[in-house]
Amino acid sequence: MGIAIRSILPVLAAAGLLAGCATPPPRSNQAAYQAYQQQNDPLKPMNKVFYRFNNTLDTYVLKPVALGYIDVTTPGVRRHVSDFMSNMQAPAQLLYFMASGKPRDAGTTLVRFLVNSTVGIGGIFDPAATLGYRHVYTDLGLTLAGYGVPAGPYLYLPLFGPSGVRDATNIPADFVMTPTFPPPPSTGLSIFNYSSAGLNVVNTRAQLHGTISNVKATALDPYATFRSLYRQHRAAQLKTINRRDVVTPPAWYPASVRARMKHQEYGQQ
Amino acid sequence: MAAYFRRVLLGAFALLPALAVTPAARAAAPSAPSAQHFIKQSGDKLVSIINGPGSTGQKAADLRNLVNNIVAVDQIGKFVLGRYWRVATPSQRSEYMNLYHQLLAYNITTQIRAYKGVTFTVGRTQTGPQGEMVSTVVTRQGQSPAHVQWVVDEVGGAPKIVDVVVEGTSLRVTERSDYASVINDHGGQVTALLEAMKQQLHKMQAG
Repeated sequence: MGIAIRSILPVLAAAGLLAGCATPPPRSNQAAYQAYQQQNDPLKPMNKVFYRFNNTLDTYVLKPVALGYIDVTTPGVRRHVSDFMSNMQAPAQLLYFMASGKPRDAGTTLVRFLVNSTVGIGGIFDPAATLGYRHVYTDLGLTLAGYGVPAGPYLYLPLFGPSGVRDATNIPADFVMTPTFPPPPSTGLSIFNYSSAGLNVVNTRAQLHGTISNVKATALDPYATFRSLYRQHRAAQLKTINRRDVVTPPAWYPASVRARMKHQEYGQQ
Repeated sequence: MAAYFRRVLLGAFALLPALAVTPAARAAAPSAPSAQHFIKQSGDKLVSIINGPGSTGQKAADLRNLVNNIVAVDQIGKFVLGRYWRVATPSQRSEYMNLYHQLLAYNITTQIRAYKGVTFTVGRTQTGPQGEMVSTVVTRQGQSPAHVQWVVDEVGGAPKIVDVVVEGTSLRVTERSDYASVINDHGGQVTALLEAMKQQLHKMQAG
C-alpha cells in the first residue's frame, strides 16, 4: 500500500504539472510572446486553481478569524507577536547572512537574537532596535538569489500563496531551521509548534488585511496584481540587503577617516 | 596630430552622454528641496481634508480636486497602459483616460474612511531614475507605520507626483501588470480592458 502510494504520487504530481502548463503564444506573434515571457508564469492554469482555492479558504476561514483577531488585539500586541516570530527566525537568518557573505547583517542578526532573547524576554520585545540594531530580513530564497539563482517561474501554492521555484525552498527550510526543530519531539513542543505556526498565519494575515482587501476591491485582475506585488516585494528585499552591504569603519581608525567612510545607510541602521 | 585628433574625438565621445543627459535631467527633475517641500505641502492639504470637518461627499470632491492638481494622472495612465497605448485607437485612448480618471477618483474615495486620523512625516529625498523620491512615514490609527515614497517629477512646468512606492512596490508598475494581464487574457484586445474598467466602475458606484 505504502509503495503504491509512493509510486503513484510522483506520477500524479507530474500529470498535474503538465495539465497546469499554459500554451505559449507562437513566436511569430512577437508582442504576445514577449508579454508571455515577461509574465514568467507558465504554470498559470495550475496557479489559478490554487489561487481560487486559497481565495475561498481566505474568505470563509482566514479572513473572519483575522478580523476577530484584530478586534481582540491592539496594534502593539500584533507587533509583539511578529517580533516574537521574527526572533525565532533569527538563528536561521544568521546562517543565511553568513552564507551569502553579508557580515554586517550577520552581526546585526546575532546581536538582535542575543539581546531580544534575553532582555526582550524571548523576543516579545525588541530592545535591540532601540540600541540601533534594527530588524534585517533574509531567507533561503534571497540567499540563493545572491548566488545568482534566478527566480524561476511564478508559483502560487495552496495554503502558502505567492512564491516561485526558487523561493519555494523557503518552506522546507523554514520548517527545519527553527530552534524548536532539533530537540526530541514531545507533546509540549508539538503544542507550541502548532500554536505558534497558527498564530503566525493569523497575525500575518491581520497585518496584511488592508493591502489584501484593497487589492481585491480595486484590481481588475487580483491574481496578476498579487503576482506583481510579490515579485516587486522580493526584488525590494534583495535590493535592501545589497544596499546595506557596506563596510564598517574599524573603531581604531582616525575620526576623520571614519566620518568619510560612514555610509549614508548608517543613519538608518 | 593624429594623437591630438584622437584625444579630441575621445573627449567628444566622453562628453556626449553628459551633454545628452544633463539638460534633459535638469529640465525634468525638480530639485530635492523643492520636491520635498511639494510633498510636505500636498500631504498637509491631504491630511487636512481627510481629518477635517465636512461630509464624506464633500471630502471626496475636495480630494478629487487635490489629486488632479498634485498627481500627473495622464502620465500615470499612459504608463499603466504601457505598450498597448500605441496599439489603441485615438477613441480608445480617450475612453481609457476618461475611465482611468474616474476609477482613480473612486479608488481614492473608498480609502477616506480607512485613512481617518492619518499623520505623516517627511524624511530624506533621493534622486531616482524617474524623478526625486521623497520618503515619508505614514501613520494611521491602529496600524503600524508604513514607509511610502513619492516620486516627484516636473510635468507641465510644475512638480507632480508620478508614482507612489509603498514598501518597495510601485503603484504604477503594479497597475501596469494588472491591466496588461486583462488585455493578454483576451488576446491582446484593448476593448477587453475598457470593458473590465467599466464593470469595475459600475461595481464601485453600486457599493
